[in-house]
Amino acid sequence: MEVREILDVFRAADPAALKEKYLAEGRKIVLTAPVYTPEEIIHSMGLVPMGVWGADVLLKRSKRYFPAFICSVVQSIVELGMRGTYDGASAIVIPSLCDSLKVVGQNWKYAVPGIPFIPMTYPQNRASEAGRAFTKAGYLRVIRDLEAATGAKFSAQALADSIKIYNEHNALMRRFGREAGKYLSAADRSAVFKSAFFMPKEEHAALVKKLLAALEGEKPLSGPSVVTTGILADSPAILAKLDELGLRIAADDVAAESRQYRTDAPETGDPLDALAAKFAGMGCCSVLLDPEKRRADLIVDSVRETGASGVLALQTEFCDPEEFDYVIIKKACAAAGIPLLAVEVDRQMANFGQAETMLEAFSERLG
Amino acid sequence: MEVRKGSSQDPNSAKYKLNQIAAKAYSDAQAAKERGEKVGWCASNFPVELPETLGIPVCYPENQAAGIAARGQGEKLCSIAEDEGYSNDICAYARISLAYAKIKDEPAQNMPMPDFMLCCNNICSCMTKWYENLSKELDIPLIMIDIPFNPDNEVSRDEIEYVKAQFLEAVRQLEEITGKKWSDERFREVMANSCRTSRAWLEATALAAARPSPFNGFDLLNHMAVMVTARGKPEAAEAMELLAREYRENIENGTSTFRAEEKYRIMFEGIACWPWLRVTSTGLKSRGINMVSTIYADAFGFIYDDFDGMIEAYCKVPNAINLETARDKRVRLCNNIGVDGLLVHTNRSCKLWSGFMPEMSRQIGEACGIPVVSFDGDQADPRNFSEAQYDTRVQGLTEIMASRKAGE
Ligand code: SF4
Ligand code: SF4
Repeated sequence: MEVREILDVFRAADPAALKEKYLAEGRKIVLTAPVYTPEEIIHSMGLVPMGVWGADVLLKRSKRYFPAFICSVVQSIVELGMRGTYDGASAIVIPSLCDSLKVVGQNWKYAVPGIPFIPMTYPQNRASEAGRAFTKAGYLRVIRDLEAATGAKFSAQALADSIKIYNEHNALMRRFGREAGKYLSAADRSAVFKSAFFMPKEEHAALVKKLLAALEGEKPLSGPSVVTTGILADSPAILAKLDELGLRIAADDVAAESRQYRTDAPETGDPLDALAAKFAGMGCCSVLLDPEKRRADLIVDSVRETGASGVLALQTEFCDPEEFDYVIIKKACAAAGIPLLAVEVDRQMANFGQAETMLEAFSERLG
Repeated sequence: MEVRKGSSQDPNSAKYKLNQIAAKAYSDAQAAKERGEKVGWCASNFPVELPETLGIPVCYPENQAAGIAARGQGEKLCSIAEDEGYSNDICAYARISLAYAKIKDEPAQNMPMPDFMLCCNNICSCMTKWYENLSKELDIPLIMIDIPFNPDNEVSRDEIEYVKAQFLEAVRQLEEITGKKWSDERFREVMANSCRTSRAWLEATALAAARPSPFNGFDLLNHMAVMVTARGKPEAAEAMELLAREYRENIENGTSTFRAEEKYRIMFEGIACWPWLRVTSTGLKSRGINMVSTIYADAFGFIYDDFDGMIEAYCKVPNAINLETARDKRVRLCNNIGVDGLLVHTNRSCKLWSGFMPEMSRQIGEACGIPVVSFDGDQADPRNFSEAQYDTRVQGLTEIMASRKAGE
């Protein structure tokens, strides 16, 4: 397969169509909300995890539940739930990693009563023994609720197998994150990350592997590149603008992209302990306790490693975890002499004109 | 000048004593700092029993931010934080505190700079980020007690174990930082004081059930500072007991600190609009509306018998509980105290508190058969409040309450 043909498969991964396909095959779907959910568990129980990170829709019905100043990621999840977009799904797993995610879970119970809400409660002091035990307790609760909602059964052996599949996928996505900037447009890069939330992991991994092999023969792109950071980087308007300006994405620190794949679970010992160890090992993220703000160092390092020319902070409107980190990132970039541009994005992108102008000026500056 | 009995100038009044205790929390911390002791900044719902037992002086940034906002300096400090790059979306307490950490002097409410941070995120995840940033910017240790939002009705054994390990670790860290030592005996004293203060607070606030209520609910906003900063101290317990006594006397004498005819009684939901305290209070009083109930009445009822009980109490603070538990607490308060309406402050600063309030307040209104009206505001950033909207909404609530009374 040619690069273009492979990319077309990723781009065609339409969540609505895939949902119908899974249901027609008699499979049960479990929705997974941002930022981290134990997908491996869902996968191991023979259920299909499908990521829900909201969509670019007009918020109407969700207004019954949310004041305007809650991020459009969670608001649009509820909007879609109320519209029936997720009908047929057996449950939704929502972690309580930020205040908006705490409230979405509570509202969900009343806004979308047909799809059971399964809370995943993570600890912030996650690396200590007590923290790991608490993570594991959270997983056990998710398992109990999944069994009740779907009738599927949990088995440790199946989880160990799923962990292997996920680790392999993680490794491929890490490689892809490094390679994509050399060869692919921002829009194509995004399509690969995004489809990972809807396609079966094994299939996605196989396709990424093919893509990586096909890219080896390609001619690298030239021109300046950036490291992106934020929760989401899938706004078609922003991606199109980056491509028009010839700005490549050398690497990312985006929650819906590389942050998902940085950490593997150990493949030895009790698989639930292994999954808790994975969570303990995660970090450099706005919703995971990070008193030293290693995230800012990680961004600076990845600019240096990739030779990127600057940092593009895509700030989801009303996302306070990211808004706090931004100031520290800004200072770290300034100290390292790295140009930084912050662009506010929401799921509606109503005032895109301003963002366009800012991106144009930034691109000129990076030359 | 005649000093009215029970007024804030009467040195024998609860109000005077409570104000003194709140002010002393700051001066004690300042004095300790000057003596060379290590001082902490502490989250309002951090287990104060820990620093209190260890004899470690702490200050409360939320309390400071409220004071700064009430004295008209909220916008100035918020703007300083915004110039640093903090979004105006961020909780105004956090913005004010981050600004203060930068300028280190604000006559509206000064406090000593910290040597360490004591964070407990049981009231919000925003707290985690805010203290993370302070700890990074000031390059001081962060002691973090993570108490997750509880989606269930009960606190699980798993949660108690997780939180307990953190309490013990926090004590260890504090001992290491300050060189002070934990004493079980001292802890029992502090626990007894804290429970005594809490009991008196619960008793005083429950007296609002009398008709008319012996106090203006806005008094509680003032006295809350002591519940936050000093509930483990014996003088706080004494002053709260005095407050309850005064309120009982008011009932016997048919008097009240609500100096208007109490035509309507409401529950007020949310943090006060500190920059607009007078406006919001006058808007109610002028219509004969007394705020007889707030969740704060319940929030500081930290009553427990031992270390595990203390942990459970901190796992159950208002913002850490699910919609149903939070709703039922309010329904109980409304029913026990007797209210004609619910006024909800949709607080721009507080995503967690406001984020499921529309649904919860609907359910409370239905369960109690009372009208629910909300207004937009902010606890500390004056720019997010409109006097005209407030007035219209309160008028609307008054009219519904009036027509219901007429129909009774
Ligand atoms: S992390 Fe940010 S974007 Fe994601 S749910 Fe929380 S507030 Fe919204
Ligand atoms: S107002 Fe809300 S967001 Fe701000 S510190 Fe208090 S609980 Fe947290």
